[in-house]
Amino acid sequence: MAIRVNPTFIDDLDRYGAEDVQLCYQCGDCSTVCPHADDMYIFPRKSMRFLQMGLEQKIETTLEPWLCYYCGQCSIQCPREADPGETMMSLRRWLISRYDFTGIARKFFKSRLTEILTIIAVAVITAVFLIYYGFSGGNITIYDGEGAFLPSGFIHRFDLSVGAVLLIFLIANAIHMWYLVMIKGTDYPVPWWIYIKQLYQLPWHFFTQKRYSECEKKHEHPVFMPWLIHLGLMLGYVTMLVLVMVFIEQLQAGPEIRWQVHIFGYLATIGLLAGTFYFIRNRIRKNYVQYKKSHGTDWVFVILLFYIVVTGILQHLFHRIGLNVAANITYVLHLMGVVPWLLRMPFCKWSHLIYRPLAMYFAEIRREAAARQESIIQSVPVLIK
Amino acid sequence: MRTGIFFCQAQDNMNLNIDSIAKYSANLPEVETVQILRPKPLPGIDFIRGQIKSNRLERIVLAGDMPGYFKPVFTKAVALTGGNTDEIRLASFQEHGAKGENAMDRAKAIVACAVMGIPFSLAAVPGGNPVNHATLIIGGGIAGIQSALEIANAGKQVYLTEQTGTIGGHMAMFDKTFPTLDCAACILTPKMVSVGQHEMIRLLTKSNVVAVSGKPGAYRVKIKQKARFVDVKSCVACNVCAEVCPVKVKSEFDAGISLRKAIYIPFPQAVPNAYLVDETSCTYILSEGQKCGACMKKCPKECIDLNEKDKTIDIEVGNIILATGYEFLDVGKIEQYGYGVYPNVLTSIEFERLTNASGTTGGRIVTKTRVIDKKTGKEQWIFSPEGIPPKSVALIHCVGSRNKKYNPYCSRVCCMYSLKFAHLLKEKVPSVNVYEFYIDMRAFGKGYEEFAERIKQEGTFVVRGHSASVAMKDGQMIVRGEDIFNDRLVEFDVDMVVLAVGLIPSKGTEEISRLLGVQRDSDGWFSELDYNGSPTDTDKGGIYVAGMCQAPKDIPDTVAQASAVAAGVLRSLTSGKGIGHMSSLSLSEIESRAKKIHAI
Repeated sequence: MAIRVNPTFIDDLDRYGAEDVQLCYQCGDCSTVCPHADDMYIFPRKSMRFLQMGLEQKIETTLEPWLCYYCGQCSIQCPREADPGETMMSLRRWLISRYDFTGIARKFFKSRLTEILTIIAVAVITAVFLIYYGFSGGNITIYDGEGAFLPSGFIHRFDLSVGAVLLIFLIANAIHMWYLVMIKGTDYPVPWWIYIKQLYQLPWHFFTQKRYSECEKKHEHPVFMPWLIHLGLMLGYVTMLVLVMVFIEQLQAGPEIRWQVHIFGYLATIGLLAGTFYFIRNRIRKNYVQYKKSHGTDWVFVILLFYIVVTGILQHLFHRIGLNVAANITYVLHLMGVVPWLLRMPFCKWSHLIYRPLAMYFAEIRREAAARQESIIQSVPVLIK
Repeated sequence: MRTGIFFCQAQDNMNLNIDSIAKYSANLPEVETVQILRPKPLPGIDFIRGQIKSNRLERIVLAGDMPGYFKPVFTKAVALTGGNTDEIRLASFQEHGAKGENAMDRAKAIVACAVMGIPFSLAAVPGGNPVNHATLIIGGGIAGIQSALEIANAGKQVYLTEQTGTIGGHMAMFDKTFPTLDCAACILTPKMVSVGQHEMIRLLTKSNVVAVSGKPGAYRVKIKQKARFVDVKSCVACNVCAEVCPVKVKSEFDAGISLRKAIYIPFPQAVPNAYLVDETSCTYILSEGQKCGACMKKCPKECIDLNEKDKTIDIEVGNIILATGYEFLDVGKIEQYGYGVYPNVLTSIEFERLTNASGTTGGRIVTKTRVIDKKTGKEQWIFSPEGIPPKSVALIHCVGSRNKKYNPYCSRVCCMYSLKFAHLLKEKVPSVNVYEFYIDMRAFGKGYEEFAERIKQEGTFVVRGHSASVAMKDGQMIVRGEDIFNDRLVEFDVDMVVLAVGLIPSKGTEEISRLLGVQRDSDGWFSELDYNGSPTDTDKGGIYVAGMCQAPKDIPDTVAQASAVAAGVLRSLTSGKGIGHMSSLSLSEIESRAKKIHAI
């Protein structure tokens, strides 16, 4: 099948952060030092080559960008300073916008202004709606119980509706990814039972991020630090999401602390706070190669998350010590961050939470299917004329 | 002739003020009109015809950085008006070197010559300084040797200074030359011997240039000759002194893979063929005459004097040839290859000495053997003739070359010598597996591509893809690389790794450039005057560059350049016009000369 070449592809990628791809002279040093490159998935050199040749259709079906965790070894070794690590990062950004069928992600990645204005607009709409609702049915001096400003039952319904919107987009994008990778990009048959056989990959990679830990072995970081922090951030995040989506009524039941629920909240907060703090600090200090270049969306990601965590803690504190008015105001401020954050999820960096485990899953399926195909081909005698 | 001058400057040249040149050229004799044209739009043919007709022009001068670009339209216009198209003269600023400090004067002179219809190169002949017929050559490698022989054979005096105790340079260390696989020593040593015996060559070993003064054609040079401690004339190289010497240090000539004594001869064919004492390790010299001195007592010819002092020599020369050569990048700082950590990771020059028949193992290619030092109890890895030959060897190209962190440039010889190593390995250890990791195979010279093809057919695994990691696993070295052509990652167990290390200018290059006022380029090599036109001259008159010190090059190119330099030197000696320098010419000198030629 002929592949269409997009000669301006490399210029488009410039907006996603890959600025130095043209410098690459294909020595293969990066693939050599990459702890994740193996015989089936050789990167980053190959991805750099596809980019240089403008093979957009080839790149959109590859999984290599998702298999990279950006330890930065390749960028340190690169003799041309072409920054292959950052190229893989920008390819991930590009793939997120490619999987997203609405085109919103593309706008966000390409224009800082659009993204920030959208976030502010959603935040303001949320605030107006919540304040209107609060004053129409409740009293700002009451936090929970009868006549509360923002009753937890309402917040629960509100959260679930926002979550439903989020879920629809995420599932649609994941299906699009599956179509691109497994249907368009795999030119050998994949039997259905391999999907089931490899299903364990999804939770395994989701909850352990084992591949990330393999990245760090030869690195200048303190032992396993980025992996542990990242894992803590992710687990904290998921725990918090579950608490907010499912157990919000128990969480917000009253001023007293219910340890069977709240202990999870506190652990999650520690993970979130440490994670956001660590990543913001590294992005400011730029002392590791993977934090040297920060795309605008990276900043929005960490800062918005940090804002949500801080307002959440404050709201919790005010509520417990009885400052109900302050608690209600911080609650509104908190939700002003949360709603744009949740609605933005499918269109931004956050969505790698879904794509990464999916990519590992697909990668293993592909690997097994390819091996099966190979054995079939070898078992059938071929007549060579 | 009625002349019209048209300034056609395609792009702004910061050095040149076109208006001021135009003012100057308007006052030249027979100039009727001076026009400054803008590049866009191109001057119309009607406009030019109008100018020619109204001023009745017979000659047109096009001045600018690239005036030839505008010539066709003027030719057409002149032809249409019935003029002589041969009288369209180009005054090209760029071509005739109107740049730098005297750019304005030079540009004016170029226009003046064009107006008079005289080729610029005829009028601008630098001249004048009477030339001293002696020549100084700094550096006694193959470039210096070749130049010295060429000049001396023409009957002119040559001073050849060399920093170390013998001439020969790096080429003396090599076993074979690529691509012909000739024996390097067989080419070099006869030349070295004739340098040593030539009556027109004065050889100054262990010498450094410390001061240079004077002008082109008459340089006064102060040379510091370090004490050799052995009388060159009476030494018969009997080796008695080295036998009694108690001090052992690493041999520079063997690239550090074998040991020598403090009193030593670099190699048996050294010229001058006499021993010398290393003052940095000799016990007698370091203790200021208190200890040792065994060699002095034992020498049968009594030619060793460990109390000899350094001396300075003042000479006057007309020309100076720079042939200071190169050295190797410190590969220890490129950590991923494990040089200095794993014993059997070698640099190319170490391998060259290992495979050389005059080397420490007698030409056997072996891996290092572990020995325990009896005194200190430390373990050491050394090459011994009884060592085990390697079963597989990895050759890694471009180590430090074409790398923005170390040398951004290509070192030019590494591809070929690595291929040569592959051949020598296959020849000496037939069962060996050789893996070549390369980025781009730069086999550019005569017979080089064929040589590369031949190596591939000999069974060397040539992997297109660079390796960036050498690791040790259970006592076995592992080289990882990407085989790009076959789309797979490869991992080979190897017993020896040879790194094709990048080349850098030799240590003294900076010092020499400061002494002589010769420019260096951004990578530290000496700058030639013009890469295409005069690749052997420098921007200072009477100073030439030959060999590696100008840029990395292989032996044939070095020898060719060295001979070319000799031709340049002999031209300055025999033409009788003396040496001057283009940049020293003033506008009035060129003008008056042009007028003289014009009158004829």
